[in-house]
Amino acid sequence: MAGTVIGEGLTIEGDISGDEEIVIHGNLRGRLTTTDAVTVGGTAVVGADITGASLSVAGQVTGDVTASERVDIQAGGKLVGDIKAARFTIADGASFKGNVDMEI
Amino acid sequence: MAETSVIGAGTVVSGHVRGQGSLEILGRVDGDVSVTGNVVIGSTGRVRGNISAAELRISGHVQGDLRGTVAVLLESGARVVGDISGPRVGIAPGALARGHVQTDGEPAAAPVRSPMPAPRAAAPAPAKFEAKPAPAAPPKFEPRPPAATPAKFEARPPAPTPAKFEAKPTPAAPAKFEAKPPPAAPPKFEPRPPPVPAKFEAKAPLPPPPKLAPSKPEPRNPEPPRAAVAPPQAEFTPVRPLKPEPRRPPPPVVPVISKGTKAKKKKSHD
Repeated sequence: MAGTVIGEGLTIEGDISGDEEIVIHGNLRGRLTTTDAVTVGGTAVVGADITGASLSVAGQVTGDVTASERVDIQAGGKLVGDIKAARFTIADGASFKGNVDMEI
Repeated sequence: MAETSVIGAGTVVSGHVRGQGSLEILGRVDGDVSVTGNVVIGSTGRVRGNISAAELRISGHVQGDLRGTVAVLLESGARVVGDISGPRVGIAPGALARGHVQTDGEPAAAPVRSPMPAPRAAAPAPAKFEAKPAPAAPPKFEPRPPAATPAKFEARPPAPTPAKFEAKPTPAAPAKFEAKPPPAAPPKFEPRPPPVPAKFEAKAPLPPPPKLAPSKPEPRNPEPPRAAVAPPQAEFTPVRPLKPEPRRPPPPVVPVISKGTKAKKKKSHD
């Protein structure tokens, strides 16, 4: 099970940091930093810079993303911001706007 | 609908957490937590901020106020520094709580509703409790001060002072003067002097005059019988009380010292 889950209907205004997987179905405004995977669910609305090992986006994310492994934008997902990751995929039906840096 | 949220043991949240649904905190939260559902703080949970929820079940550490619209339960191992309030408050053995604890209000009818109803319901409750203690306290304070303070102040200053002055100076002095000097003339003069010294005594030290007064009449009394006119004059000078002190000691000493003359006389006779 995911270490941290922000359920739908829950709003966090502030920073989240940790060393475990984080799953977001609710709202987050601030900053998200972890050493593990980050999952943004379909109902999630995130306005934050995200740093983690990997990122999977099915909801809406606005902010810069830095991932040590990979970033995946699922179908229906929306991401606005710069991405810095070794691997980056955009599924069919996803929306994305920003710069991509895969030189890591 | 609202699912349970979890803040893992390795996660730190710096900011406010609010919304619908339940929340389980196993990590750290620096900020206020306000949810409509239940909040469970595990043994590894650390929260620094106020927490508001339907039911609070705490096994970790909290530094902040706890408000449960349904209940607040502190499990063993819990450590809470802050105020606790809710319709039901439970503190299990092994739990540590430091702060004000108040069980109040009625369990929220719909704890999992919009976040606002809870605070609103909570607000009126404290107001009722505040109102109760307020009326009770005033009556207690009001009757005590007015009754006690005035009575004490009035009784103490007026009663003791006059009593002392009247009893000590007037009765003692006149009684001695009147009783010892039988002559009719002295009594008339005596009444005048006593009042004067009494006034002076009241302002100035009390002890010296009374002591001196008795000493005066005694030596003088023996004299009055010889000449009734003489003593009254001495007594008229009650104004002396201030000056008489030096006069009195010398007179006895001087005549007594005449004893030496006796010895000389004896020697001379011998």
